[in-house]
Amino acid sequence: MSMISEEMLVAYADGELDEVNRRRVERTIAGDEALAQRLAAHEALRARLSGHFAPIAEEEAPDRFRALLEPHTKVIDLTEARAARTRRARPGWMTGAAIAASLVLGLWLGRGMGGEAGPVGISGGKMVAQGSLAKALDTQLASAQGGDDVRIGLSFRARDGGWCRSFEGAAVSGVACRAGADWRLEQAAPGHGTSGDYRQASSGDPRVMATIDQLIAGAPVDAAAEKAARDGGWK
Amino acid sequence: MAFESELLALVPRLRRFAASLSRNAADGDDLCQAAIERALKSRAQWQEGTRLDSWMYRIMRNLWIDEARARQRAAKTFAPEEEGEHVGHAGDRDIEAAVELSDVARAMAKLPDEQREVIALVLVEGLAYKEAAEVLDIPMGTLTSRLVRGRGALLELLGEAA
Repeated sequence: MSMISEEMLVAYADGELDEVNRRRVERTIAGDEALAQRLAAHEALRARLSGHFAPIAEEEAPDRFRALLEPHTKVIDLTEARAARTRRARPGWMTGAAIAASLVLGLWLGRGMGGEAGPVGISGGKMVAQGSLAKALDTQLASAQGGDDVRIGLSFRARDGGWCRSFEGAAVSGVACRAGADWRLEQAAPGHGTSGDYRQASSGDPRVMATIDQLIAGAPVDAAAEKAARDGGWK
Repeated sequence: MAFESELLALVPRLRRFAASLSRNAADGDDLCQAAIERALKSRAQWQEGTRLDSWMYRIMRNLWIDEARARQRAAKTFAPEEEGEHVGHAGDRDIEAAVELSDVARAMAKLPDEQREVIALVLVEGLAYKEAAEVLDIPMGTLTSRLVRGRGALLELLGEAA
């Protein structure tokens, strides 16, 4: 039985421990698989909850709140109000994903034509992983990865029963789901190696978490189940 | 005027907090609106230099508690035959809303209020324990024990228990 209380484990997951206690938890979980899994579950829970509600905080304040707090801006006539709403309406994240995806496509399909295969291609009219990204999704385990180009985040079963994995790479990050022999991209955004105004889609990115939240059935799998799924060809 | 614009800047976070306390986004926005109206009326009570976000969280949480208690009373008064099955819920509207609930919202709805508000402040809003304890006006020990129980219950409800 370990010396780490549930309370301390939770405090670790919430970033509330000081250096000394943090080290103590890390030392203990290094030799205690059950405790490591419990910690991973607590961390996944935090990521899932914050990801679930994050999209609300990314929306602009709806008109009803503006009307309360901007007393000097009268809501003018209906046509104008409607036009303003359309102007203000930002694309939701899924639309954002489509835009990001087309950007990715433009970038990497274009490069593909120059001879260097990018991580994203088109198969059967769908955006799919190829090259190093496809290989990482096929073979790489989240529980055992070093300095690979692509890092796998979570592996999980989608509601339709298929396998999905979140990933993070220099060129592109997002979520891919198994479709036949391909990995179909459910979400793609420029990865951490790209510059520009686009936000990174890291594993803690609320947009990635929101996509996972929409797709997932139950919980992400643990290391053993992930390995079994890989060895079974993600069927 | 600065007060209003500071409040407006907080609206995204306030809506998120309201949504995590409420059964759905629409109820959340109603709660959020009520909290903003209350804040505008009581603005004299807010002390310049103190944190407006903590003050707003506290107002919203208190309104939510009042509303939850009123709803429980109403459920007991008007729907005695459903007691036990739907305690704390107001009937048809809840059942309709329940159909659209996501796994996360459903699990949150099953938590006792005292655990749910702690989970919402720490895990959804990302407040430090100390800040959350101040918003709720409870000792740190009470906060952490509610948090541990709430987290444990959610892991079980969402099937993430190790």
